[in-house]
Amino acid sequence: MKILIDGIEIEAQPGETILEATRRTGIHIPTLCYHEAFGGQGSCRFCMVEVTKNGSSRVVASCTYPVNDGIEVKTSTPQIDKIRRNIAMLLYKRAPNSLFMQTLYKEYLCTENNLVEDPYEKCILCRLCVNACAAMGASAISTVMRGTDKRVATPYDDASAACIGCAACAEVCPTGCIEVQEDNNIRRIWNRDFTMVACEECGKNFATREQLAYIADRSKQEADADELRLCTNCRRKVLARKLETFNG
Amino acid sequence: MGKKSKRKQVLVCCGTGCIANGGLDVYQAFKNNPGGLFELASSDDIKATGCHGLCSSGPFVRILPDDITYCQVKAGDVEEIIEKSIKGNELIKRLLYRDPQSKKRVQNLEKVAFNSMQLKKALRNVGLINPESLQDYLDRQGYQALRKALKMKPEAVVQEIIDAGLRGRGGGGFPTGLKWKACQATTSTPKYIVCNGDEGDPGAFMDESIMEGDPHNILEGMLICAYTVGAAKGFIYVRDEYAGSVAALTKAISDAREHGFMGDNILGSGLNFDIEIVRGGGAFVCGEETALLASIEGNVGEPWDKYVFPTEKGLWGQPTVINNVETWSNVPLILLEGAKKFASTGTAGSKGTKVFSLVGKVVNTGLVEVPMGTSLRDIIFTIGGGVPGKRKFKAVQTGGPSGGCIPESLLDLKVDFDSLGQAGSMMGSGGMIVMDDRTCMVEVARYYLQFLAGESCGKCVPCREGIRSMLEILERICNGGGCLQDLDLLEDIGETVKTAALCALGRTAPNPVLSTLKYFRDEYLEHIVNHRCPAGVCKELSEFYIDAELCNGCGLCAKNCPVDAVQGEKKQPHVIDNSKCIKCGECINDCQFLAVKVR
Repeated sequence: MKILIDGIEIEAQPGETILEATRRTGIHIPTLCYHEAFGGQGSCRFCMVEVTKNGSSRVVASCTYPVNDGIEVKTSTPQIDKIRRNIAMLLYKRAPNSLFMQTLYKEYLCTENNLVEDPYEKCILCRLCVNACAAMGASAISTVMRGTDKRVATPYDDASAACIGCAACAEVCPTGCIEVQEDNNIRRIWNRDFTMVACEECGKNFATREQLAYIADRSKQEADADELRLCTNCRRKVLARKLETFNG
Repeated sequence: MGKKSKRKQVLVCCGTGCIANGGLDVYQAFKNNPGGLFELASSDDIKATGCHGLCSSGPFVRILPDDITYCQVKAGDVEEIIEKSIKGNELIKRLLYRDPQSKKRVQNLEKVAFNSMQLKKALRNVGLINPESLQDYLDRQGYQALRKALKMKPEAVVQEIIDAGLRGRGGGGFPTGLKWKACQATTSTPKYIVCNGDEGDPGAFMDESIMEGDPHNILEGMLICAYTVGAAKGFIYVRDEYAGSVAALTKAISDAREHGFMGDNILGSGLNFDIEIVRGGGAFVCGEETALLASIEGNVGEPWDKYVFPTEKGLWGQPTVINNVETWSNVPLILLEGAKKFASTGTAGSKGTKVFSLVGKVVNTGLVEVPMGTSLRDIIFTIGGGVPGKRKFKAVQTGGPSGGCIPESLLDLKVDFDSLGQAGSMMGSGGMIVMDDRTCMVEVARYYLQFLAGESCGKCVPCREGIRSMLEILERICNGGGCLQDLDLLEDIGETVKTAALCALGRTAPNPVLSTLKYFRDEYLEHIVNHRCPAGVCKELSEFYIDAELCNGCGLCAKNCPVDAVQGEKKQPHVIDNSKCIKCGECINDCQFLAVKVR
């Protein structure tokens, strides 16, 4: 089907969202809670666009709005720019301690106001960490509470038995608010300590013991499988050596 | 009741309000039949019914066919009632309703202003039948609409609902018939029917009254829809606090199954349909339909974007028709009386009636059902009897916590889905809270934002962070720390939340702020510029004094002041010692002569 984005006609596939269709064109719609791996959540509302269909317009979240024939999309209007500016302002006020939000606050030309700032907060509640953890299959963290008290945590803030210490949550976090401390082969994350395992080739720590046990269990691999012994870099090297022998 | 009309029947109101005031004890006292004093044809002639409506005067005992209604009855009055009005034909004057306008005692409560302007459609059986009795429901044309529908083509049934112009009573106002039609058109199975009984608005009990007072009516509505769209499974999502509703619905479902109105091959038609009750988890946001569906699925009650309607992708991704309790209870009536008759009541865009729970600073509080298009003035002043005492009407808040406050200048507004929206408020599910001049509108906005701060699901940024920020500003203004820029900021954030939030809760959350800013801006300015709360509610900004001209020295305020801040001789004007005063407002509320003023 054909849709019009900022005046440019593009071919879109049924079932995809406006954001997905737009990304292919190179037109930029800013997002905060979107990640290709998890799809749209519709929670940050930063990707709002104006959609016109049959003469009537509405503002929608482009990450969840499925394309349909004949729609016309505007990715920037005064109304949408104002929404984005206010979201950047509100999230900065929530998490002024994150460099990410400080940058966004300036980029969107937010004006000063006297709303209270929590000098220590970094989390913008985009939930990418929660999605990453769910995608890993652990689901050790989730949002807890509701309303303005909502936050990400393990159940009752205890050390979670489900956590494998993989730190995918911290990896995906845009504001760097998830603390991962590594000291003496011990990784501390979400109030729990994990013993690190060193790569058999280079000797660098590359995973937690629990993470490897989890992978072994889920993938039904033998204990001597490369994935369970080697870091990503060394696995690549081993693979390259194998390919060399094929060629040679 | 027809041919049985000679028989005396006793209806005891056992709605939640009356139960709280001893309604069950009154019912039990009748059941005990003290001393075998009276003979009724059968024990079924003493009925514990649902809400009679005029909750401020309950518990009620209504005696038919004489149609005598006694108010504020206590268990101790029962013997006398039996002796005089059931065995005999004597009226007990002191128990009759005293009309606030004419000050006269009235025998037939249906004839007082509170009732005479009402039109009971959704509530047509509530208060008249024993909700536990299937027979009572059958006696009032129960399940006749289903029988009729089963003989029609499903498309014709949907067309009837479309022609009736029924719109969703839960707040959205979406045309019910179009919703059914969309679901009917989908080919994916299974399909689900859901009833939204998660009434969470503070002070609202419209849906509770129907679930408790006429549960079969809801089941019948759902059954008719199941037939038209081809669904085999339904859910009723009931607010967890509504134990009475759960009990009534559970009994009704079990009776309906037993008598062939539910289960397999319903009434021999080949229709299979059953209903399960799901109890809510105590989250206001689960009244929002997608959050409700998420909750039924066992997930956290968070809404999702409705760009694809639940009629296409609802419960577990399957086509789902979800309607509110009151909407369902209108369905059988439409089939019975026909779309044309139904649509003859109401306004151009809103057909039929609407149930409101009328509460707050109004003489007659209770449950009110009026034709769409009835003016706010009629509801509040004619039906509600106006504001009690010498206080003045200030505003009416409609539509629940995220509704707006409507000022006196708009009292002639004809209430329907569209007019309330245009006035910056909303129909919501029908909450109506009347406020008098002792109400501070800034504090009202703050109060509702505080409610919403706790009840937003917290998923989307505009709602979560927007409410938090607006609440912060309102708290500052109430505490005397506001500045003029705050008003612009409130409007700026409010507009963003209104357009960008994910669900209806978020998009309406700024209503209390924006509507009070629009209609009561002077009060905000008084707080900010003059550091004064004109209603004397915000403690930091209030100082009370007694107008010596108006004070007759009755001493009531001095007697009730918890900190002995009021002094004065009997029959001499009193004075307030502001060094002691804690600004609780007790004196101002007590004074019948409006002598206590806010400086």
